[in-house]
Amino acid sequence: MVQLTLPKNSVPKGGKHYPAPAGSSGKTKTFKVYRYDPDKGVNPSWDTYDVDTSLCGPMVLDVLIYIKTHMDPTLTFRRSCREGICGSCAMNIAGRNTLACIHGHDDCPSDKIMISPLPHMPVVKDLVPDLTLFYAQYASVEPWLKTETPEPQKEWKQSPEDRAKLDGLYECILCACCSTSCPSYWWNQEKYLGPAALLHAYRWIIDSRDEDTGARLDDLEDPFKLYRCHTIMNCAQVCPKGLNPAQAIAEIKKILVERVV
Amino acid sequence: MNFRTPLSTARGLGSAKHGVSHWISERVGAVALVPLVLWAVYSCILLAGLDYYGAVEWIGNPVNATLIILTIAISFMHMQGGVRVIIEDYVYGHLTKAAALMANVFVCGLAGALAIFSILKVALGGA
Amino acid sequence: MATYEFIDHKFDVVVVGAGGSGLRAALGCAQAGLKTACISKVFPTRSHTVAAQGGISASLGNMGEDDWRWHMYDTVKGSDWLGDQDAIEYLCRNAPAAVYELEHWGVPFSRTEDGKIYQRAFGGMTKNYGEAPIQRTCAAADRTGHAMLHTMYGQSLANATEFFIEYFALDLIMDEGVCRGVTAWKLDDGTLHRFQAQMVILATGGYGRAYFSATSAHTCTGDGGGMALRAGLPLQDMEFVQFHPTGIYGSGCLITEGARGEGGYLTNSEGERFMERYAPTVKDLAPRDMVSRAMTMEIREGRGVGLKKDHIFLHLDHLDPKILHQRLPGISESAKIFAGVDVTKQPIPVIPTVHYNMGGIPTNFYSEVVTKAGKNPDQVVPGLMSVGEAACVSVHGANRLGSNSLIDLVVFGRSAALRAADILKAGATQPELKHAMTDGHLARLDRFRHADGGTPTADLRLEMQMVMQEDAAVYRTSKDLASGVKRMEVVNAKRADLKVSDRSMIWNSDLMETLELDNLIGQAVVTVVGAANRTESRGAHAHEDFPDRDDAKWMAHTLTWFDDATGKVKIDDRPVHNFTLSKDIDYIPPKSRVY
Repeated sequence: MVQLTLPKNSVPKGGKHYPAPAGSSGKTKTFKVYRYDPDKGVNPSWDTYDVDTSLCGPMVLDVLIYIKTHMDPTLTFRRSCREGICGSCAMNIAGRNTLACIHGHDDCPSDKIMISPLPHMPVVKDLVPDLTLFYAQYASVEPWLKTETPEPQKEWKQSPEDRAKLDGLYECILCACCSTSCPSYWWNQEKYLGPAALLHAYRWIIDSRDEDTGARLDDLEDPFKLYRCHTIMNCAQVCPKGLNPAQAIAEIKKILVERVV
Repeated sequence: MNFRTPLSTARGLGSAKHGVSHWISERVGAVALVPLVLWAVYSCILLAGLDYYGAVEWIGNPVNATLIILTIAISFMHMQGGVRVIIEDYVYGHLTKAAALMANVFVCGLAGALAIFSILKVALGGA
Repeated sequence: MATYEFIDHKFDVVVVGAGGSGLRAALGCAQAGLKTACISKVFPTRSHTVAAQGGISASLGNMGEDDWRWHMYDTVKGSDWLGDQDAIEYLCRNAPAAVYELEHWGVPFSRTEDGKIYQRAFGGMTKNYGEAPIQRTCAAADRTGHAMLHTMYGQSLANATEFFIEYFALDLIMDEGVCRGVTAWKLDDGTLHRFQAQMVILATGGYGRAYFSATSAHTCTGDGGGMALRAGLPLQDMEFVQFHPTGIYGSGCLITEGARGEGGYLTNSEGERFMERYAPTVKDLAPRDMVSRAMTMEIREGRGVGLKKDHIFLHLDHLDPKILHQRLPGISESAKIFAGVDVTKQPIPVIPTVHYNMGGIPTNFYSEVVTKAGKNPDQVVPGLMSVGEAACVSVHGANRLGSNSLIDLVVFGRSAALRAADILKAGATQPELKHAMTDGHLARLDRFRHADGGTPTADLRLEMQMVMQEDAAVYRTSKDLASGVKRMEVVNAKRADLKVSDRSMIWNSDLMETLELDNLIGQAVVTVVGAANRTESRGAHAHEDFPDRDDAKWMAHTLTWFDDATGKVKIDDRPVHNFTLSKDIDYIPPKSRVY
């Protein structure tokens, strides 16, 4: 639902300042991090941390781990693989949804870097958003191969050309950067599936082995589930894996036309 | 508190199983409007140079009258579709939304019908 | 102590972990009609299987003749004869069916021109019992683990597996030697849960984060191994830690062995392809332990590259950029991001990096956890199974071959489900749980939650990681290992002095990291103690003071128990299974391991 202002209890107020720990050089960058502690029952805040980035690795995740190790162990964020494949550490860094583990702090436009959870999602704590609905939308496109023909003894055959159609789709890591950057998703996430789920829907529609294409298309042909995409293209711009969900959505729309004309 | 399961929320009311015809008509309308609007701009410039009787005579030409009517009809249909999407995006609550959608249809329909009738009157009735 | 209440759940099977093996096991159990729960501390597709790159081995024969017996021979030889040959036979025989099953579920494997699954060469995989390299590793570009994990998660959704996501498992509920379930902490609301089950399947992965530099994810903290140790169960062969030859220098991110499978090679500072000296037949496609040792040797002898002469170059720049784009797109991206290297033009700086734990919770090939009781080395622990990297079946023995782990996940995940379906009755009545069974779990949680000593978790973790990195490395000496044992004793003692700053129960990542560290420390201790104990060199355990394999004395699995209260380790051994499952292949007797 469109909410152009934050609810009262979500407006960030105040925040602590953590100076660079002893042993840091004078050259620091300032990281302004969104903090929310559900136990405290108070509004979120922006805490600022001065970090000598020569003491940590090149990525924003390295900075967050440095802060957690040396400045504030209570800072909470998801992380796992640290190489951009698991999709855990998706967050908004300097105004852009991305993965903290493959986004260099030197690539941020200034030395004052704001870090907040993925936009327009309920916040559980600090940089941890609640992605339940996002995952359910993924599940709702039935992301598995559907066949009725008896399975062959060996593999289903697929030509390299048909397999190539899955490139740019199957690599999605479900980090939710795209969906949570999409204004249409912000306003209508209860009804619009969002770019990530639609990209996956297309991945199975276009798979030459799948035998349920028609039903998949039927389930998508809806003014909200699919057609709420207004080709804003934020999804394609932020995808940390360089995928293009907007194009996948456009392809679905094209196939739907192909079906009737 | 919402106790629906996440999947129930995600599936919602299910697919309406329509949308492609709307999408196609949007595109067809948009494509049709490109030459029509260009023609309309050209015509406005032409009409500006004519006096009242010249204008009436020009409108009375069957080709001109048909093209004007088409431009107006498709424009209002297109506008209705566009505004409808905006309402769907930004207006919530059953009543307000239904009211807004209806108002949109009525306003566009009425304005379109009035415009078309006026053209017909001029074209058929003479002045 | 604060009061804690459990929310109770009752299932036939509870799987802990939702990586490749956990999902496969959960899926199989659910399909068999058992009421199954799968609990995971991360969303399933964030599990570390997602980072597996190169592929999954199976003798499909899509690229030329192949035979599961050849695969078995390679695996036995790769394991330096420490693998149990009955389990290895089970793995290699069932591998092709497991891969076809994955394909039928929708894994987007790369394809050959005739539409079959594409297979690439991998280290130690040979044809006709060691003659020459073979293409046996089925690949989905260089994102095979990712493709598998996402597909299996989709299948789990199709089969309505019940997931409990972002639940952190605390401890096994043990009842006089029988496992009755597991307790867990739900991160997003801070509630505690008691999962009762006829069977618990631990699929919690490895403990790579015991080391400072590892290709493993931050979440690879071997929580299942830690739980097993606290439950009084032994871990097996923990001294065998695999170093992957090609971790990116600096960040430790993985560059798949498939890079060498596609024709990449390693060079030293003189530009020499030194692997030709160490493994004349298979060269850069030797098993990982040998390549890692060769690289370490080159660096030690002053032929490392870079300013400090402390790493090696991996060349892909001679390969066709089109092939790189098609078959190795992921690592091309990683090399760009983490080493600033354009693989089509420059070599990638690499260094051996901790990658995989051959050791783990001992199981038989049904995936049932076993322990040694009296004279019986194969005593099944009722109610408990383990699969994947957490387990030690042992199919990888002293050294795992690349691409044998993904097949291990699905073959033994499936075997666990088949066995569970065989021995369990869906909905059978379960005995009532008593508070005494879980009081210790709560006490431990509460102790760490309110820990207010002088050592922050991150400090102790770093100390442990440095001990392991320095004293239990690619090459080990008696002196290093003795030092490692001593230093780990110090680390272990400091557990009592930990400091946790966050007292909350909701998404308290400070507490979670502390619980993970606690799990890591036990396993790190038994790793160095086990390594110090094994006075021979075998597979990944390269002991400089005992450079030879000693089959007379050491053809045995190490078993280690860890006393959580005192930090004392008890060592025993189990015989290696010197028999096969069927008459289709004879036991492969040990011989010298040259490539």
